[in-house]
Amino acid sequence: MPEFQLAPEPFLGGYSGNFGANRLEEATDLSIVSIACPQGGRNDLESAVLKAWGLQIPSPGRAESAGADGPTLMFTAPDQYFALLPAGGGPPLPRVQSALGDAAYCADQSDNWVALRMSGPLASAALERICPVDTDPSAFPPGSATRTVLEHIGSIVFREEEDRFLLLAPSSFAGSFLHAVETSIKYVS
Amino acid sequence: MSESHRIADGLVDRGTVLGFSFNGRGMAGHPGDTLASALLANGRRMVARSFKYHRPRGVFSAGSEEPNALVQLRSGARMEPNTRATAVELFDGLEATSQHHKLSLDFDPLAANNLLSPFLAAGFYYKTFMWPRKFWERLYEPLIRASAGLGRLSMQPDPDAYDKGFRHCDILVIGAGPAGLAAALSAGRSGARVVLADEDFLPGGRLNSERFEIDGAPGSEWAAKAAAELDALPNVKVMRRSTVYGAFDHGVFGVLERAADHLPDPSGKPRQILWRIYAKRSILCAGATERPIAFGNNDRPGVMLAGAARSYLNRFGVAAGMKTAVFTNNDDGWRTAADLSRKDVEITAVIDTRDGTAPVHISGASVVMGGRVVGTAGRKALRSITLAGGQVVPADCLAVSGGWNPNVHLACHLRGRPVWNQEIAAFVPPEKLPPGMAAAGAADGSPGLSAALTQGTAAGKAAAADCGFKAPKQKAPRADDESSAISAFWHVSHSRGDAWIDLQNDVTFKDIGVSFREGFRAVEHLKRYTTLGMGTDQGKTANVPALAVMAEMTGKSIEETGTTVYRPPYTPVPISAFAGRARGKDFRPIRLTPSHKWAEQRGAVFVETGAWLRAQWFPKEGEERWRQSVDREVVETRGSVGVCDVSTLGKIDIQGRDANEFLNRVYANGFSTLKVGKVRYGLMLREDGIAYDDGTTARLGENHYVMTTTTANAGLVFSQLEFARQCLWPGLDVHLISTTDGWAQFAVAGPNSRNLLIRILDPEHDISNEAFPFMACGEFTACGGHPVRLFRISFSGELAYEIAVPSRRGNSMMAALLKAGEAYGAVPYGLEALGVMRIEKGHPAGNELNGQTTALNLGLDRFVSRKKDCIGGVLSRREALQDEDAMTLAGFRPVDREQSFNAGAHFFAIGADRTPGNDEGWMSSVAFSPMLGHSIGLGFIRRGHERHGETVTAADPLRGKETEVEIVSPHFFDPDGERLRA
Repeated sequence: MPEFQLAPEPFLGGYSGNFGANRLEEATDLSIVSIACPQGGRNDLESAVLKAWGLQIPSPGRAESAGADGPTLMFTAPDQYFALLPAGGGPPLPRVQSALGDAAYCADQSDNWVALRMSGPLASAALERICPVDTDPSAFPPGSATRTVLEHIGSIVFREEEDRFLLLAPSSFAGSFLHAVETSIKYVS
Repeated sequence: MSESHRIADGLVDRGTVLGFSFNGRGMAGHPGDTLASALLANGRRMVARSFKYHRPRGVFSAGSEEPNALVQLRSGARMEPNTRATAVELFDGLEATSQHHKLSLDFDPLAANNLLSPFLAAGFYYKTFMWPRKFWERLYEPLIRASAGLGRLSMQPDPDAYDKGFRHCDILVIGAGPAGLAAALSAGRSGARVVLADEDFLPGGRLNSERFEIDGAPGSEWAAKAAAELDALPNVKVMRRSTVYGAFDHGVFGVLERAADHLPDPSGKPRQILWRIYAKRSILCAGATERPIAFGNNDRPGVMLAGAARSYLNRFGVAAGMKTAVFTNNDDGWRTAADLSRKDVEITAVIDTRDGTAPVHISGASVVMGGRVVGTAGRKALRSITLAGGQVVPADCLAVSGGWNPNVHLACHLRGRPVWNQEIAAFVPPEKLPPGMAAAGAADGSPGLSAALTQGTAAGKAAAADCGFKAPKQKAPRADDESSAISAFWHVSHSRGDAWIDLQNDVTFKDIGVSFREGFRAVEHLKRYTTLGMGTDQGKTANVPALAVMAEMTGKSIEETGTTVYRPPYTPVPISAFAGRARGKDFRPIRLTPSHKWAEQRGAVFVETGAWLRAQWFPKEGEERWRQSVDREVVETRGSVGVCDVSTLGKIDIQGRDANEFLNRVYANGFSTLKVGKVRYGLMLREDGIAYDDGTTARLGENHYVMTTTTANAGLVFSQLEFARQCLWPGLDVHLISTTDGWAQFAVAGPNSRNLLIRILDPEHDISNEAFPFMACGEFTACGGHPVRLFRISFSGELAYEIAVPSRRGNSMMAALLKAGEAYGAVPYGLEALGVMRIEKGHPAGNELNGQTTALNLGLDRFVSRKKDCIGGVLSRREALQDEDAMTLAGFRPVDREQSFNAGAHFFAIGADRTPGNDEGWMSSVAFSPMLGHSIGLGFIRRGHERHGETVTAADPLRGKETEVEIVSPHFFDPDGERLRA
């Protein structure tokens, strides 16, 4: 037992709240690793991703998921993707690095982002108050992911299911970000 | 007061009574009423006084164009001035008071202004209050302000919430009158995403105010059915109480939704929502606004627009007067007489400016074709009108119609100029509409109902087709086109008394004459000289008559005279709606450092640096002044060890085969020789050679680096690096990602910093001076296996490290560091102590890297490598930037050590005049050095590095401070750097 302890604390203390049939909660079980495709290495990365997780590399604006227990791969920028990993299985960076080998440059992004999951029939209406991106299902069906700005905060909006969104924002903004999203859902519910 | 003037049901719910008050007097209305209709129903005719002359005024219109009936709505903190009674939906408990008068509405001493009106004409203020000059501030302005001004503010914070929103659609239909409903139906039925927005709470537009029939049923019924169908369509959003106030570039529209204005209390929900609507296509169905005719004393309560009188009758069941006369230049005005007559309201006369025969027979009314109304009588409300022949006709209401102006505003917001259409004597939308916009119905200059329905249906279908949707086969609803023949007529010459053109700003026919005579003949000049159209109604009922009058005076056509520029907003938008949620502490989002919670518990004082809140100092019990805390933090850090959260510095993870080459190009100094496990200080230049950021970059692996930037420039540097990577050198294999928020980073500084860290790091790591020398870096573990990054770098000049840990562990790392340091008396230190120590060491920071200084100025010219190229390298060698006499960074200390000085002071030779020519430089940073016991400063002065020992004056005339200072080396403390290499 070391003399001094380090304990990870969720950015929002594991917040959760219900608003009628809608729910907002901090996703504390998520690890994020960024994957950059080395120049000229597109084919290698594609086959490494396919081999490791059985996934295609997502096209712009999309995320590909390997089921509930597997990783989700999200397009974040040209030649850049985020792997969202469910909890468990050890430190995320070595897991991804060992899966992809030299096919990718990886960085642990887990602590860079605070994650909120918003679900329920009014989730889309709540987003309408802060999100400039069109989140109508016809324009932003499940599996869509995009970078945008929510209340001045550079964020990522990912529609996991028809009525469920994962929202990521830089972790230093956690309190303001929660306030923005929570206010929106309060206003529409 | 009883509802003496409620003569029919109209579309209000008579079964429910809503109590409200006007000037404290209780009255009754019903759901479906506006405040104006309820006031009229209760027989209230004078509701306000005018802006300049304090003349009695009544309800003039039945919509958002209202110039007269402005009231203070609600009370307490919710009190809102200048609310148009005609656009306020009645609710139970509504309180309204009249505005714009002293004492009471009925007795206003300032009405004496009216007697002075011959002197108060346009331009009076400009000419009169010029002299004596000093009278302006003391006398004239307070006097004018006391008598003018529209309404009063509550002077309390607005208790309600406001919000914003973003809405996307294929087709935005603007206005829910017959054309808008038809357009929304045909577009909505195709499956396209449609937003239908209307300022009214009841969709239907004029259909609710007229007796028109559609498909054999009353128009209002058809409107209700259409709205119900649209409400039920999942792809259509009907936005009631929502004004499209502006058309902007790229199909973006501003919409103000008054979501809870019709409720006594919004119960915490936003009162108004400012929407930004993105539409691929838009259809302007904003209808038309009626305009008056100018004649003598045409502003008396009881004189109103003919269409408004019809609205009050048909929609609200209210007779605006019991003896009504009609004055018109078109067939539409006759409809008012017909509708009122049908409801047994006495029509005393119909005066038509046109010669010929009456288009309609109105029983009992005297009909005067080719007639003119020259004056009115009645003290506080209309009693009678006088015709050109001298005939006096009794009337308590005069319904006036000068024709209808299509609401072309949104069609012109992108600088389109409307086109004059002689047939309807009005301006119609420009030929070139904003991209994606079409106009239909009255807004397009087609006055008939049948035309509105047909055009709306067709426009909806066409817009849907443009967006890839096919509307099902459908016929436009059937209706007749009513007659609207008109012969333009603007004002009655030989009027008895002033003829008012702009009721809200009290601009008369005579004022336009003054403007003409003074040479202000262009419409834009006319507007500014007379203040015409500059009220909250933006001259909706005044502008066209005014420019028609000006056209007559100049002998030009109306078309040649033209209109003023149409700009958003269409109707007033409260500043609170623009602010939305950005109020108080929610003005902007805040970033907190990973150890914020710990610092808060420790009682830290915080300061905003950009979006960040950073601990400024940590007061201890007994410390009353900030300097006590800061001095102690410096002394104890330099004496033993201190810990500071420096996580706000930008951190960029850089990887790739060409990362090394990339760094070598973006930094002015060389990076090619940086070894794995080492850190180097780097200076970045802008392309023009000016210094713009500095920091350190650590090489963690062969192809892996982590760069730090200044806090302020973190985002800027990142985007500049992305630009360089993507655009300047796309051939390099280099990848960037920000990790600023991912790592909590702490400076651990002071002679005992190593001892402290040894206790934190897991025992297998050796950080002795030999194993981990100055500028070393490495990835270690701490506190039982937690990964950390350690950098041996120093901003304080002490033996120092920065230790980084994933930010979720940041708060407990701060606690652990302080706990491990207890044995050494470790202290947390804040931004101020950090600043003092860097000034003691002569390190430039934001004050020095101000976007105007070069590497030479900063004394860092040797950092700009000549062995390689870098961004800004060539331009930094421009002659002007290599001036021998250039300002260079120097230290300054007071000759009298007891003295202090200010940052921002400028340097002058002792005794020299304080002129710009003698200015030798400026002081950029100052601090009190607790180590040296006196004030110290950094600054830029000509050839500063060669002038150590000279004395100059630091002059700060702005704050009245002059200090003699000695130029010294900027390295005040430990100039040889022995401490940091210990």
